[in-house]
Amino acid sequence: MTTKETLGIRSFRVLTGAVLITWLILPLVPLAIWSFAKGWFYPDLLPRNWSLRAWEYAMSDTSGVLASLWLTIWISLVATFLSVLVGVPAGRALGMYKFRGKEIVELLILAPTIVPGIAVVLGIHSIFISLGLTNSVEGVILVHLIPTLPYMVLVMSGIFANYDPAFEAQARSLGASPLKTFWYVTLPAIRPGIIVGGLFAFLVSWSQYILTLLIGGGRVETLPLLLFNFATSGRNDITGAIGMIYILPGIIILLLTAKHLSGRSGAVGGFGQI
Amino acid sequence: MTHVSIKELTKVYPGATEPSLDRLSLEIPTGELTALLGPSGCGKTTTMKMIAGLLEPTSGDVTFDGRSVLKDKPEDRGVVMVFQNYLLFPYMSVADNVGFGLKMRKVDPVEIKRRVGEMLELVKLPDLGDRKPSALSGGQQQRVALARALIVQPNVLLLDEPLSNLDAHLRFEMRDLIRSLQQEMGITTIFVTHDQEEAVVLADRVALILDGRMKQYDLPDAFYKRPVDEATARFFGGHNFVPGTSDGCRFDSPLGKLTLPEGAATGQGKLTFRPENVRIAPEAAGQNTLNAVIADIIYLGTQTRLKLRVGETEVDAIMNPNEVETFSVGDTLPIYLPISTLWVIR
Amino acid sequence: MSDRMKIFLLLAPAMFIIVVLFFGGLLTGLMRSFNYMPVIGLTDPDLSAYVSVFTDREFYLSFLLTFHIAFTSTVISSILAIGAALLLRRSFVGRGIVNFLFQINLTVPHLVGAIGILYLFSQSGSFARLAAEFNMIQSPSDFPALVFDPYAIGIILQYVWKEVPFIGVIVLANMQSVGEDYESVARSLGASKWQTFRHVLLPLIFPGVLSASVMVFAFTFGAYEIPAILGANFPAALPVLAYRKYTDVDLAARPEAMAMAIVIALLSAVMIYFYLRYSRRRIRG
Repeated sequence: MTTKETLGIRSFRVLTGAVLITWLILPLVPLAIWSFAKGWFYPDLLPRNWSLRAWEYAMSDTSGVLASLWLTIWISLVATFLSVLVGVPAGRALGMYKFRGKEIVELLILAPTIVPGIAVVLGIHSIFISLGLTNSVEGVILVHLIPTLPYMVLVMSGIFANYDPAFEAQARSLGASPLKTFWYVTLPAIRPGIIVGGLFAFLVSWSQYILTLLIGGGRVETLPLLLFNFATSGRNDITGAIGMIYILPGIIILLLTAKHLSGRSGAVGGFGQI
Repeated sequence: MTHVSIKELTKVYPGATEPSLDRLSLEIPTGELTALLGPSGCGKTTTMKMIAGLLEPTSGDVTFDGRSVLKDKPEDRGVVMVFQNYLLFPYMSVADNVGFGLKMRKVDPVEIKRRVGEMLELVKLPDLGDRKPSALSGGQQQRVALARALIVQPNVLLLDEPLSNLDAHLRFEMRDLIRSLQQEMGITTIFVTHDQEEAVVLADRVALILDGRMKQYDLPDAFYKRPVDEATARFFGGHNFVPGTSDGCRFDSPLGKLTLPEGAATGQGKLTFRPENVRIAPEAAGQNTLNAVIADIIYLGTQTRLKLRVGETEVDAIMNPNEVETFSVGDTLPIYLPISTLWVIR
Repeated sequence: MSDRMKIFLLLAPAMFIIVVLFFGGLLTGLMRSFNYMPVIGLTDPDLSAYVSVFTDREFYLSFLLTFHIAFTSTVISSILAIGAALLLRRSFVGRGIVNFLFQINLTVPHLVGAIGILYLFSQSGSFARLAAEFNMIQSPSDFPALVFDPYAIGIILQYVWKEVPFIGVIVLANMQSVGEDYESVARSLGASKWQTFRHVLLPLIFPGVLSASVMVFAFTFGAYEIPAILGANFPAALPVLAYRKYTDVDLAARPEAMAMAIVIALLSAVMIYFYLRYSRRRIRG
């Protein structure tokens, strides 16, 4: 509705909007400043001396930050790849077919999106000990599938619900093999879903803390673990630098996809896990 | 009750170069049922929303009984708008939907219940008060939307495409209901439609809007008999436009000299006549009789459409199938254009 | 291949992973909470872990604190998110940028937000320095304790920071799919702006708000790293307490940790029930 509004209401709107946005950006500011500070003591509002020391440390081979970064990227990429591999077929089944017990399957897939990791990871730890999967990258990747896979399935079932399989039948009747049909017909149609779901899966895995901590037993030191350790040991400048590195992928992804991430997509729930 | 007057009403949406509505002026007398007719995107719904106060005009004025209402909030104007897709609140029962306006005015609940009951009787849905809107058919939802609007006794009722979502057999039923309720309550009513049939069937007067501008504001039959220009005539299904010159009595054109009714326009112009008014010439052929060659015959069931040629000029005619049964393409057909059905567009 | 077979094969890998990992983990936790673990020779289930958890004052304090955190954060975030969505649904100059800034922290992990809140609100943090600059406090200890505090203000601030855009984006999408016409109808039927919001817009978006809130509540009830960074030592949030028990040198404390995990799981089961009830209703509208 475009109706008249008084100047008072208008300035109230602008002001509250400005406060809101400021508040949403504010906690990132001290982190950014700390990463360039050389000592920043109370009650200074800004550091007296600026330096790149924290960044130099973070980028050095000895600190382990870069090794941790590559490890985190690797874990998130593999978890994403596995989620796509397993989630796309499941999404197809849920999006395109009606079958007995579908509600139960949906419930089973929904449950991990709401039940917190801490509630299941202790039990998983017990299982993984007997399987020899604790303290290993493989174990961490597996346990990351718990939060990543459901979103992949939800996104893909949404995509497949709006997908007409008649296109595949048409391709087959024109002489395409099943594999070619998948490659030339199905894949292009579902690619947007795979991209959005995959980005979510990546970010959800990227942000996992407690699952990695318990299953990795501290030996698999991903970026959030490193960040937590520096934050609780009072190395604010290095914390700031790692924090900046850590939020970068998410912001890049948001920049690239902001227009496609409408709240209507089932994937938005994934943001709740980041 | 309320005389609605629209003066030079203009709307330019932010970022648009062309106005969606260009200086529309309209007088709608108290208690009349007026149609705003035009193709989709011509500014009809924009006009309604500006009358209802849901959209701010770029310029111009809307007055009720001579008083400008532009400064009034939508809820204070006494204007109720019924949307095309009914927009019944899905989470409320039918009765709660109908009583909504009274509840907003803080009317006593017992009173609301009584009046909702009366209103549902009036729209012939007395037993459906407890249902959810989703359990109703399209026609029933339409009646509920109408009841919800009328219960607040508006001064002005606005209807957006009131018949367009209904099946053919429901249309006449709904048309009768709308007309009878409107006449009974004497509410000044404006409705918009893109369907000329809907407009003439329902309205006392029709305003035709093309390209954001008003073309003609007239009684329904005038659009068939006396269109102001070719676009107007075409919108109402006119096909025959013959250029030529009028001296007020006769029209000189490629069809020859044709006799005009009294009071016809003079000068350069176009002669128009409706396809259904073209007749087969009787034996004793008189004035306005022409020899046409049949170029095509299209059988439409209850009528037959003929494409005719008179010299180089094409003439469309609609005839009774029985009249033309014996003719075939290429035959010569003597036709007659009754004087009273001719009209000159300047 | 029959459709049933096809559906089975399509679903099998995902169901295998979720059932084995998620429900296997849950079940193992449940068994261990009853001291039942045949693999390591524990074959007599008992309730001792639950008895010691439910007789421990720290558990109750911890549970209440966690509930307080989750409830307060969810309510504040939902209200502010609706307000934010109302602000952002209109079109205005610079809307694209404002929307981007509004969404920016959606991709910023909670942990980073928690550290940011710590740097802002601790007694030597940015706001304390600002207060000192204006001579409102003499020393850091004069600044009110907003982190590591008994009321978990810092934790709640962090969640509000993070969840307002989350719920806001969902509510905004809800408002956009509802459109403005219902409100137009209400206005033309005589409802004031407030009545329109209260009787029309709010009921229409409520299911969406509720299902988003349920997700937020469950998350804030079970998150570990945020209370671990911003919370007081005693009482600690339930997930922190469970983690401590689990990693205690005394292995006998593990069943107690499992029992707490089961409490969290039960609470989220209730949340799932609400989520389904309202998200279904939203779908069937």
